Amino acid sequence: MKITDFKITYWEGKSERSIGDANGPYGSNRLPGSFLEIFTDEGITGYSLIGNGFVGKLFPLLEGKDPRSVVGLWKEMNDLVFKGGNEGERCDAISAIDLALWDLKAKIADQPLWKLLGSSTNSVKAYASGIDLNLTDDEIYKFYSRMADMGIDAGKLKVGLDLDSDEKRLGIMKDALSKANDRPLLCIDSNEYWSPKQAIRFISKLEEKFDITWAEEPARRWDYNGLKKVSDNVKAAVATGENINDLAEFMPLIDNGAVDIVEVGMGTTGLTGAMKVANMAYAYELPVAMMNCPGNTMAHLATNLPNHMMMEVVDNGRELFFNTDHHIADGKIILGNKPGFGIDVDFEKLNKLKVEKHSTPKHESYPFPRREGAGLIINPLEKD
Amino acid sequence: MKIINIKTHLYEFENNRVVGDANSPAGRKLQSNLLIEVETDEGITGYSSSGAAAKPLVESMFNRALKGKDPANVKGITKQMIDFAFKGGHGGMINEAISALDIALWDLKAKSNNEPLWKTLGGLTPKARAYASGLDIPMNDKNLKEWYEKMASWGFDGGKLKVGLNQDDDIRRIGIMRDALKVNSENPLIMIDSNEYWSPKQAIRFISEIEETFDLTWAEEPARRWDFIGLKKVSDGIKTAVCAGENLKTLGDFLPYFHNKSADVIQVSSGMGGVTTAMQLADAAYGFELPVTLGGSFGHVHAHMAPAIPNFMIMEITQEEPDPCISWDVTFENGYAIPGNKAGIGVEINYDVLEKMKVEKTSPSTQASPFGRRPGAGLYQVSPSKNEIENSERLNK
Repeated sequence: MKITDFKITYWEGKSERSIGDANGPYGSNRLPGSFLEIFTDEGITGYSLIGNGFVGKLFPLLEGKDPRSVVGLWKEMNDLVFKGGNEGERCDAISAIDLALWDLKAKIADQPLWKLLGSSTNSVKAYASGIDLNLTDDEIYKFYSRMADMGIDAGKLKVGLDLDSDEKRLGIMKDALSKANDRPLLCIDSNEYWSPKQAIRFISKLEEKFDITWAEEPARRWDYNGLKKVSDNVKAAVATGENINDLAEFMPLIDNGAVDIVEVGMGTTGLTGAMKVANMAYAYELPVAMMNCPGNTMAHLATNLPNHMMMEVVDNGRELFFNTDHHIADGKIILGNKPGFGIDVDFEKLNKLKVEKHSTPKHESYPFPRREGAGLIINPLEKD
Repeated sequence: MKIINIKTHLYEFENNRVVGDANSPAGRKLQSNLLIEVETDEGITGYSSSGAAAKPLVESMFNRALKGKDPANVKGITKQMIDFAFKGGHGGMINEAISALDIALWDLKAKSNNEPLWKTLGGLTPKARAYASGLDIPMNDKNLKEWYEKMASWGFDGGKLKVGLNQDDDIRRIGIMRDALKVNSENPLIMIDSNEYWSPKQAIRFISEIEETFDLTWAEEPARRWDFIGLKKVSDGIKTAVCAGENLKTLGDFLPYFHNKSADVIQVSSGMGGVTTAMQLADAAYGFELPVTLGGSFGHVHAHMAPAIPNFMIMEITQEEPDPCISWDVTFENGYAIPGNKAGIGVEINYDVLEKMKVEKTSPSTQASPFGRRPGAGLYQVSPSKNEIENSERLNK
């Protein structure tokens, strides 16, 4: 089987519900996206729910190759971007291609990807993540309550701008999740808004009232000294990795004890890169947690990782033109048996969302830019 | 596809030449092997092998973890085998059993996809750079020269000499190996391996002296396998890269190496928790910017793994003559091991030959470590004794 061509479709829509964090506390439902198809001479097509213009620069490496050679192709793509580094749009493009190739590899074997990877289970523990700094107290309760109804007994609250409010909202999340478990797992995420010493102060204060499973990105992504300092001074585990992409960037974090729970996802240079980071964490006895993604497709990899802890489910209604073969029950993401990632695309819907290029609004941008006051003094929310 | 049955065959045969290292300069020719067949309800069989002594564990682990399972789920099954062994640890003999069964599962998984294992693992280019490794302390100079010349005629331009017992002999013999390999390269890759016979300070003295004459690519196991401080000390004290890990068994065993920068080249093997763990270990090394080298393996399965390891450096070829009971789908060209396109690992069994070589019990001299650790190890060099020399000379004929 040979790769023959590719196509990227840019689209724009709105997610069903707005999301927000310490850097975007007023929330946004803007949803710019792309969809990558990689075609083969045998009519099987690989899908990826991300992609960008750099894919075209990488494609000559792929043309005529067997998609089953995905790991070797991943290395060739990484080697090609050597000088500029595996960063930014180059990394996004490699990730997009890698995911489409894994989709193809599993489709060729006529197996769901979890099975192609060698997993013996099709399910993975889930945690609810509202990305909810913009939600009202009532909305928070409703979201986590709905999640608890599916058996989910772990949640992650966005925090960072108002300690009193964070404390109150953490209580609301806990109450809602208590339906599923007397002692739900509580995680918090400040999205690099704090300095290490702020993190130690604020997390310690929250720990007076709550048993916190992990505190996510309590300092800058690259600040391995700062992250270790936080870990040494709070009881909660430090979870980080979400905003770093290349395997090599994990070395200082892991080797310096700066991370207690390693986050991997689509952006960790695709499935191949994420698996490598997870295996490196495994050698260091560190758990990994899979980041959220559209359609929860990365659960396929999560089932395959012996050190996987739980995977983030946002459920904000962003699957505007596709379905993926899975459901959530008993607190788990349960994958089906459709081949590959199990992505079913409604091309009519996709065509309606299609744009030539993504809009660039001046005042509302997603992903959120870093917010004023970050790492210094909390810039309070405007009251309205 | 369901796994239904396991068959094992114990056999013994005489290697076509003598092998040995710093711990066994007397050498030996006799070898034994436990060949493993894992059968499925669809008539496809997965092959593997282990040491004879692991047989009861292979069988009990098969019954507990493999029977009735789909081999496609190999990574999940291997995790379960490792978890079963939790309390006592999954090193030692239980590791041998887990590794052997994991290899058979990968063979089955690739066969059920109807593709060679290198492709199942995601490899792009089916070739792996290889070096010749004589396991050659008991070989006399003449045979040493001829063996490396033969390997050079297959295109090899790298060689690893067993050293450790006599500094003058070692320096002379490295020259013999290098000269034989020179037909392929002006600067053949030269590796040495002292098999944990030295203390760290001995290693620094001896390797430094060798470095005055030769440019060495790596020095293998220059200190004890667990001595992460000593290995780092050696690496800090010489120019040559320290290559280590061969005698470790689990992923966790390598944590101190990574954390303390004890090894510059990481030895990975399918004998460390099978293909599954070996690939995880290679990934961990990759995250630390460390190259990976692969040793000898059942049916040259390592030639299938190498194309899927981005930080793969070079793999060891010790046996130019195949095990007489099996054939494998790996060829050697221009110094590369080339896995072919037969499904799975590509191993086939010659049952007629196997039948003739079968034994009930293996000879003691075929055990993994028949001579144990040799006197003087870690203290001072003890040259081969008269008896050891006589024995090796007899086997050189």
